[in-house]
Amino acid sequence: MMSDGDAVPNVETGLVYAHGLAALATLFISVAFGILASIQLLAPEVGAGMPWLGWGRIRYAHTQGIMLGWLGNAFFAFLYHAVPILTGRAVSSARLGRWLFALWNFAVMVPGWVLVMAGISQPLEWAEFPIGVDAFVIIGLVLACVQFLPPFFSRGLESLYVSSWYIIGGLVFTLLAYPMGNIVPEIVPGAQGAAFSGLWIHDAVGLFVTPMAVAILYFVIPAGSGRPIYSHFLSVLGFWLLFFVYPLNGTHHYVYSVIPMEAQLTAIAASAILGVTVILVVFNLLMSLRGVGIFPRDAGLKLVAMSTIFYLIVSIQGSLQAQMAINQAVHFSDWVIGHSHLAMLGFATFAAAGGLVHAWQRIPWARYNARALTWSYWLLLAGVVMMVASLTAGGIVEAQLWQSDEPWLESVRAARPFWILRSLSAIPIAAGFIALLVGLTTGPRGAGLRAIDSDPVREVTPLLKRAGEPA
Amino acid sequence: MTARSGRPLRMAYLAASIAGVAFFVMSVALLGIWPGRVLERQVRAMSPERPLGLTVSEERGRVIYSREGCAYCHTQQVRYVHGDMKRFGAPTLAWETRFDFPHLWGTRRIGPDLARAGSVRTDDWHYAHLFAPRSIVADSVMPSYAWLFDGAPDRPKLGARDLVAYLQTLGRAREIAGPEGEERAREGCNCPDDTMSQMAFASPINASPARTRKSLDVPAFPSEVDERRGRTLYAANCASCHGPRGAGDGPGAASLLPAPSDLSAHEYTTARVADALWNGVAGTAMQAWRDHSPGDLAAIARVVQRFHSGQDAAVPDDLVALGERVYAANCVQCHGQDGRGDGSAAAELTIAPTNFGIQRPTLSQSLRALREGVRGTRMASWTARLSEPEIFAVAAYVRRFFEAEGGR
Repeated sequence: MMSDGDAVPNVETGLVYAHGLAALATLFISVAFGILASIQLLAPEVGAGMPWLGWGRIRYAHTQGIMLGWLGNAFFAFLYHAVPILTGRAVSSARLGRWLFALWNFAVMVPGWVLVMAGISQPLEWAEFPIGVDAFVIIGLVLACVQFLPPFFSRGLESLYVSSWYIIGGLVFTLLAYPMGNIVPEIVPGAQGAAFSGLWIHDAVGLFVTPMAVAILYFVIPAGSGRPIYSHFLSVLGFWLLFFVYPLNGTHHYVYSVIPMEAQLTAIAASAILGVTVILVVFNLLMSLRGVGIFPRDAGLKLVAMSTIFYLIVSIQGSLQAQMAINQAVHFSDWVIGHSHLAMLGFATFAAAGGLVHAWQRIPWARYNARALTWSYWLLLAGVVMMVASLTAGGIVEAQLWQSDEPWLESVRAARPFWILRSLSAIPIAAGFIALLVGLTTGPRGAGLRAIDSDPVREVTPLLKRAGEPA
Repeated sequence: MTARSGRPLRMAYLAASIAGVAFFVMSVALLGIWPGRVLERQVRAMSPERPLGLTVSEERGRVIYSREGCAYCHTQQVRYVHGDMKRFGAPTLAWETRFDFPHLWGTRRIGPDLARAGSVRTDDWHYAHLFAPRSIVADSVMPSYAWLFDGAPDRPKLGARDLVAYLQTLGRAREIAGPEGEERAREGCNCPDDTMSQMAFASPINASPARTRKSLDVPAFPSEVDERRGRTLYAANCASCHGPRGAGDGPGAASLLPAPSDLSAHEYTTARVADALWNGVAGTAMQAWRDHSPGDLAAIARVVQRFHSGQDAAVPDDLVALGERVYAANCVQCHGQDGRGDGSAAAELTIAPTNFGIQRPTLSQSLRALREGVRGTRMASWTARLSEPEIFAVAAYVRRFFEAEGGR
């Protein structure tokens, strides 16, 4: 427990900075893959004759890059900032940090991309990097646990703020779930393997991306607004409900399959409960935003507020589309692609960018350009809305055509205008990310910190405490 | 914080942490391990005793299919849903996936499901389609895999051969298990009240509308047709192989064997075109077009019939007599006594011999077939066996079998 007498914990700003830059670099590469893949659906000859630029390989590189490269690095950057503030203790070791950084980027991302594009991969969703690379991801996750978890356990569990719970849960459960989705389907055949794949498809989002993103929301909202969260009780209740329910969702990716109906129904019921739980969590977050509103002035806070909205929408959408009647129609269509982009580009990317901006702003020597960040926010928001709207509408059209007697190809022809809009949405999205890069690499050094009137750590720390705990 | 309030909270968090791990373990047990055990039992009970696995070449093809992300646009899982069953056939049983390491079920369908794609198309269709997808399917968005070829669709490298070999295995195991296999599976499934298991055996195993069939009933085509719609449909679906004017010179034609018919060089009865459209032409890349309505197919048929510019050359009687003799001596085994394509050997042939009663080649087309043969079919060149006058006579003679439909 930190009292006024405690020293301000030491944030490894160099590692925040390094992971932040790596996050942006992998983000641009991953977005380029995504844009290329979307253009190839409009002009399939683009990249023809170059096997390493084939649609499938690009598709693998895109999602793995977004999840592990961009979100992974951005989460690490945030953790280096947040863990010392949450715990009053430094992370385990700066040297370990440099190893983790090198491993994550040069033993996972670079070889992962090179191998996938060279045709060495596995055709498993959210698990496309080959097994050799998986080994390094697992080592990386172990190192991350060693790096970030001990500070939490050096204090009593009862004093943990909710973000701490999400961080502990995210790191531990990702480590448990990762081998299941990446390795089990290689040794368990067909339908049996698919059952495990289904679990991982959801756990990748539910146990890695979501906890880290929600940890950022719960951290940045009070730290950025200077006001405590609405209810500590609701926050912890929401955390446990999410962690109980999230892993039980997986089979909803294979509704109406040969996987036993009992498992499908369990997942469908869990999906419905999950939706209700997220409403609870988001209610708490939105109530915490009272006073600063949905569009706060602070760049990091603004991103995080919108992420909260996206989290609500995407979760309710997910609960609905897991229900059999809706799933039957929209499954396999662009509706689902819209859903996953609402989750990863809307909810997770806005949270990751918000967390990154928040941490970056508090590096005393880092450049910071608030105007560019405002541009980034609005461009990204426009891009996400445009993309998700076009894909969702396209998905409904495809689903209707599949139900009709029209030939299959009609659904491909009908998708084209929606795909054009989706590709056009790449313009605001890419511009938004460029603005994010500009916001973090231009402007005077330390401008971010100077924009905050208060002491960033000392005045934030009391907010990140459980209710009733003396600050 | 006082120790008094801290301790119960700590215990609550500890309990919750244990519960959290327990829920995760439960998720793996309940949604991974337990379904796996059920499926394993199901596979044992329902699978044929020795189901056909993949050959080495087919396995290599599967690796290519995996690494190119084919499963990210084509699912390999027919769901227990009537819409899926209508388009693709019987829903996927667990035993059909027993050799899938890892599974390739997929969660997105840009192209159609491929779980039952095996033997729907000919190998040369696949080669042409992989080499240049839009040369075969005009509006396809599939990437080209030309680098699996040595510069041309009819020169597949090992990779293309392996990939096509693999594609032809999709759904194979269940299809060759035959009625006995279905019976065994139905018994092994042993759950008569389960709607899912009923659905599993309710529909034909393969419902691909493109699958060719030999001589099945064709639905009645309406006689009133919308020719403009027919031209649009022809351009969208047929021109890629048969060419914009029906001359058999579309971009996809080059590598197909046998080549697409030169529609302008034949006179067809409506029944002939209807049969080709509804059933496809077995043994060739001409697929069935059952995903189109009879009205649309009738409109396409009218367009096809219009390609022929009819002028009938009169044939001298002495030539007819010579042609009849040559025909009787050389052609009846396949093409039949009355040119109906129903000779004694016809049933043996993969590709049915031409039925001249419903399809009349122009004289030059007829001559070309006799002189050069028809590549990709059993119709050989006759120049070594017949003299030029004999060839001319029989080329003219076969045109007499045609029975034009009344009123046209």
